[in-house]
Amino acid sequence: MAERYSSFTPGGTAWLLQRVTAVFLIFALAFHFFLLHFVNHAWEIEFAGTQARMQDLGYFITMILFLITATFHGVNGVYNALINQGLTGTPRKVVLAILVLASLALVGQGIWVAIEMRGGLIL
Amino acid sequence: MSQSYNRGLIEDFGRWKEFSAGMWAWIFHKFTGWVLIGYLFTHIAVLSSALAGPEAYTETLQGLEALFVVRLLEVGLLAVAVFHILNGIRLLMVDLGIGLDAQDKSFYLSLLITGAIAVASVPTFMTDVGF
Amino acid sequence: MSTQEQKPEPDTEPEEPESQEAPVEQRAPASPQQRRMQRKASNLAERERQAAEDEAKLEGDTVHLKVFRFDPEVANKQEPRFDDFHVPLERGMTVLDALIYARDEYDSSLTFRHSCRQAICGSDAFFVNGSQRLGCKTQLSELDQPVRVEPLPHQEVVKDLVVDMEHFYDQMHSVEPYMQQEDLPEGDLAEMRQSRENREKIKMSTRCIWCGACMSSCNIAAGDNQYLGPAAINKAYRFAMDEREDEEIKEHRLRIIEQEHGVWRCQTQFSCTEVCPKDIPLTEHIQELKREAVKKNLKFW
Repeated sequence: MAERYSSFTPGGTAWLLQRVTAVFLIFALAFHFFLLHFVNHAWEIEFAGTQARMQDLGYFITMILFLITATFHGVNGVYNALINQGLTGTPRKVVLAILVLASLALVGQGIWVAIEMRGGLIL
Repeated sequence: MSQSYNRGLIEDFGRWKEFSAGMWAWIFHKFTGWVLIGYLFTHIAVLSSALAGPEAYTETLQGLEALFVVRLLEVGLLAVAVFHILNGIRLLMVDLGIGLDAQDKSFYLSLLITGAIAVASVPTFMTDVGF
Repeated sequence: MSTQEQKPEPDTEPEEPESQEAPVEQRAPASPQQRRMQRKASNLAERERQAAEDEAKLEGDTVHLKVFRFDPEVANKQEPRFDDFHVPLERGMTVLDALIYARDEYDSSLTFRHSCRQAICGSDAFFVNGSQRLGCKTQLSELDQPVRVEPLPHQEVVKDLVVDMEHFYDQMHSVEPYMQQEDLPEGDLAEMRQSRENREKIKMSTRCIWCGACMSSCNIAAGDNQYLGPAAINKAYRFAMDEREDEEIKEHRLRIIEQEHGVWRCQTQFSCTEVCPKDIPLTEHIQELKREAVKKNLKFW
């Protein structure tokens, strides 16, 4: 029976996660574009407006989720594109490490900025 | 054993004109994907100006928005995002095994809608910007 | 009315007076057959006349072939080049027919694989006018001239149009393309019966002739040498979906195709599906295996 658990492969999980994040991103990206280009115009953005939006807890959480899923979806896409080109062995491990570090840095920085925009972590 | 001849990259480029809908969809999806992940990193970098205080943030964003090139790139970004979304929906359908026979038509449709939305958004995106 | 009247026949002209004649004379049962024979004879004559006409039209027409030539063992062929052949056209001539003519009449060193000439042996997949096609199944009349014939891309060229298929065969064998059911049904005959529905499900996947066109068209297989490729995954599908094998064997098969370089590499470009000379819906099969693999893993979470 233990063998069955080992049949769970990283390839399949990443594939599924890529699809699941895709479904979320369809809505998140469409919402984001619509809100910040058509409802609020990009050239009118001021810090106060951003802060007002970020102080809505639902919006704040959506944006954090948007950041995390988009980073995963994008970086995993890049990684797969490279594997499809025949990236193997040590270069592949190095690339994976770089991509993971870049993703963590991006998500960390993004969350920090979001908290700053919100004006602290207060609810 | 005789040595054999590997034609390498040349044949790959020679094949481009023979590509069909599914292949073009893949190339566009990949290209738009690279643009979007690249933009995500830039986007967070620009928004990080908020860390330097509210004024810096407002100035940075409005300064960028005053540039015609930035507005033009934004229309491009919208087109890229819309195509990636629409073709992404198409790919999700393919993954679910729905409408595989119409995969070429759905690609052309994605292109058409992307074009229409990009053109329709030009007035909004170009408001109040000089050359 | 007699039965042959129901069959759609383009020229009814010669048989009309005859069919009126038949009931009047109250002929013996032999008459329908006679009528049939007569009709066939006249149809044959018409077809022959048509063929002769077409032949006359083609008379003197040639097809211009540009054929890839390369041979590492011959000094003046070590540098790859294209040779031109002008082959007299015949009605219904295929790319393979033209190549055979060129080899037999012009240059006996022209090398290519072929065997059955009926799209069954899968030996003669070439890169014709920019796409992977079976030489014996491609009519010259469908192609623009000059017809460029090259060896399959993404496989190493051994000589002229002959490519090294070893890697393709390795991938095919790696999915264990044979029945592995050990427990046979009770009874003397021990037949392993398959339901009609299940037969229908795997029908298309059984049609693979190992020609390698799909693998050659696949962009991912070109970049990632470890990728199983469409043909091997289709072969895995043929057995994984066959209900005569037990569930455990199916799981074993799914484990093979769900490796990192298995089904997940497929990017649904549909290139393989488009070039398959046997019209196997390869992309559909690969996608179904992806879903099966995901479902299997979700079950054990």
